[in-house]
Amino acid sequence: MTTPIVMPKLGFSVNEANLVEWMAADGSPVAKGAPLYALESEKSVQEIEAPADGVLKILKAAGEVYEVGTVIGELV
Amino acid sequence: MTATPLNNVNMVQAIAMALDDAMEIDASVVALGEDIADAQGGGVFRCTAGLSTKYGDARVRSTPIAEQAIMGAAIGAAIGGLRPVAEIMLMNFMTVGMDQIVNHAAKLRFMTGGQTHVPLTVRTATGAGFGTGGQHADYLEAWFAHTAGLKVVAPSTPADAYGLLLSCIFDDDPCIFIENLPLYFVPGAPPVRGVRLPLGRARVTRQGSDVTLISYSRTMLEAQAAADALARDGISVEVVDLRSIAPLDMGTLLASVAKTGRAVVAHEAQVDCGIGAEIASRLHRELFGRLKAPVARVGAARSPVPFSKALETEFLPTQARITAAVLETMTP
Amino acid sequence: MNEPLSIPDRATLHEIYRLATLIKHADDRFIELIKAGRIASPYYSPRGQELIPAAISVSLLASDVVVTTYRGIHDQLAKGIPLKPFVAEFMGKLTGTCKGKGGPMHITHVASGLPVTTGIVGSGLPIANGLAWAAQLRKTGQVTVCNFGDGATNIGAFHEALNLASVWKLPVVFVCQNNGYAEHTKYEFGTSSRTIADRAVAYGMQGVTVDGNDAIEMYGAARAAIERARAGEGPTLLEAMTFRFRGHLLGDDGHYIPKAEFEAAVAADPLPRYRAWLLAQGHATEGQLAAIEAANESAFEEAVAFGLDSPFPPVSELSTDVIAMESAS
Repeated sequence: MTTPIVMPKLGFSVNEANLVEWMAADGSPVAKGAPLYALESEKSVQEIEAPADGVLKILKAAGEVYEVGTVIGELV
Repeated sequence: MTATPLNNVNMVQAIAMALDDAMEIDASVVALGEDIADAQGGGVFRCTAGLSTKYGDARVRSTPIAEQAIMGAAIGAAIGGLRPVAEIMLMNFMTVGMDQIVNHAAKLRFMTGGQTHVPLTVRTATGAGFGTGGQHADYLEAWFAHTAGLKVVAPSTPADAYGLLLSCIFDDDPCIFIENLPLYFVPGAPPVRGVRLPLGRARVTRQGSDVTLISYSRTMLEAQAAADALARDGISVEVVDLRSIAPLDMGTLLASVAKTGRAVVAHEAQVDCGIGAEIASRLHRELFGRLKAPVARVGAARSPVPFSKALETEFLPTQARITAAVLETMTP
Repeated sequence: MNEPLSIPDRATLHEIYRLATLIKHADDRFIELIKAGRIASPYYSPRGQELIPAAISVSLLASDVVVTTYRGIHDQLAKGIPLKPFVAEFMGKLTGTCKGKGGPMHITHVASGLPVTTGIVGSGLPIANGLAWAAQLRKTGQVTVCNFGDGATNIGAFHEALNLASVWKLPVVFVCQNNGYAEHTKYEFGTSSRTIADRAVAYGMQGVTVDGNDAIEMYGAARAAIERARAGEGPTLLEAMTFRFRGHLLGDDGHYIPKAEFEAAVAADPLPRYRAWLLAQGHATEGQLAAIEAANESAFEEAVAFGLDSPFPPVSELSTDVIAMESAS
């Protein structure tokens, strides 16, 4: 089952966040709970864990700002 | 003028009757506020005189000077199944309890998805004319009418005060009942005891055909005087007493203005962003093309309430300014 | 404290553990769901404060009521809010406790004795007084517990409410969960009194400071205050010392908390400490605790699945519950 990786809302008045970097390689297997990517919103950088097991398929590049709710990748 | 009938009452007496009758028939009706119990004088305007003696000081409580505490206690008691009537001595002091009123009383029914509701009544007095100055005479009804979840009522006669207060007390949502200082002592026909007047219903107090004059609370006195004087000059003014600010009785207002084609709204609150603005906007929208003139608004001057009598008198919406507004709508 | 604290019975000790670990599990899962984009809401984590409501709730009757705040899932879960509508409300679903219209800051469940949850700091205290006044008038014996943080003790409503509660001798317990920070401001920078309990004397009521991270101490102080209220002896100000591990709001990086202080708090995490104590004192076996943890997890997962599967409220819900429909003009 493919799990979408969705840009979360972390903070009070944020509707977008900066995808700072991917912490796993595109195409690599990732375990649930492992660090997956870093995002910056409001004032802090947060590490986001993988929501499920799977092979990472990156859909959006790091270094850009995306709206909350954007599917930035998938775990296949 | 005819002699005052012996059984006339004033608004203080009418309010006191309503509270007494409500507390008599329903043990869940309670009252709280500064100085309201008999040991403290039965209320600074004596609207609650006799209640604590008759119903006990568990149900009728004088409070410290603490509007957030007063409003919060009323809200919690209402959620807990009582029907509290909180007295906020003067409308300017509502501002001290705004969080409780606007963030809680108004919103809890909605935010809880209907699990709780807040059947409280706030009685509050205001009105210029006694030199009480900038912080003791404001009309703030527009702020509360602007808040979903609140009902706002402003009677102009003792009989209306009685019937509307009963309805507020037994309404299942928060009601703000606005009393006026000069009106407290104006006598009028007594109410029919036990009869509630429905909220959201205006009353045509004078039939007319040339122009509709809409008002409420103390300004009704000036409006009626203006209408009487204009009648002698051959202008037929229909006078409507709103009685409820929220919800507004647009049905009655639209029927009247559809008939006359002209409207003037007069209130003691500031003109800018006042209730008159809301009414004018709705009349313009619904009756566009059928109006003979734009809706005129008369209200207090754009300043805080001044102290000096010379200024205070001119600050208020006078009979002269209401008359001028009516004549303005009559000018082709 | 010189006298030995009385230890509650085993069933109570286990119940405190069950509630505290349910809260921690819920907190962990909500954060996972938020980070996975399944819940979009500001989130105020109670991680670190679980033992406080767990130790209080075991002394409450189902008919007692709890007032809490936007940082309130621990108070709500401890009071016994049903999990499915609780999680659904977090997700903004129609099947939520408030039909999705209140959200995490206003979780309300009247049937569980959770009638008011507020997003305005300090505003629950005056309302708690009202609930207590109704109970006093009707002689129901009901106790109102009102939760708030150290930050709330500097706002006007706190002072007005404590004064009134004392003057009217209301059956209310004011629980200040002192986690040392008012948003990003450390206690000493914003609060003029040495402790919050010190303020009780100004309002003519009993003030007690306890270690909110010690289940037995918290249990004892809460029980005494609840009994005092129920007996008509008036309100108490309970100050429960604690710490919050996840900052004010999820997304907060906690830069304002000195590193050494944070590390010391982590080392003193009240949950593993309580767990270890239960085992060491022979109040529970590993098997019993593991069973409690597993039951919590499976019940919560059911609730998460329920929430994810539930529909959002229809647009018509915007115009319901504003005022009673019968009187709408």
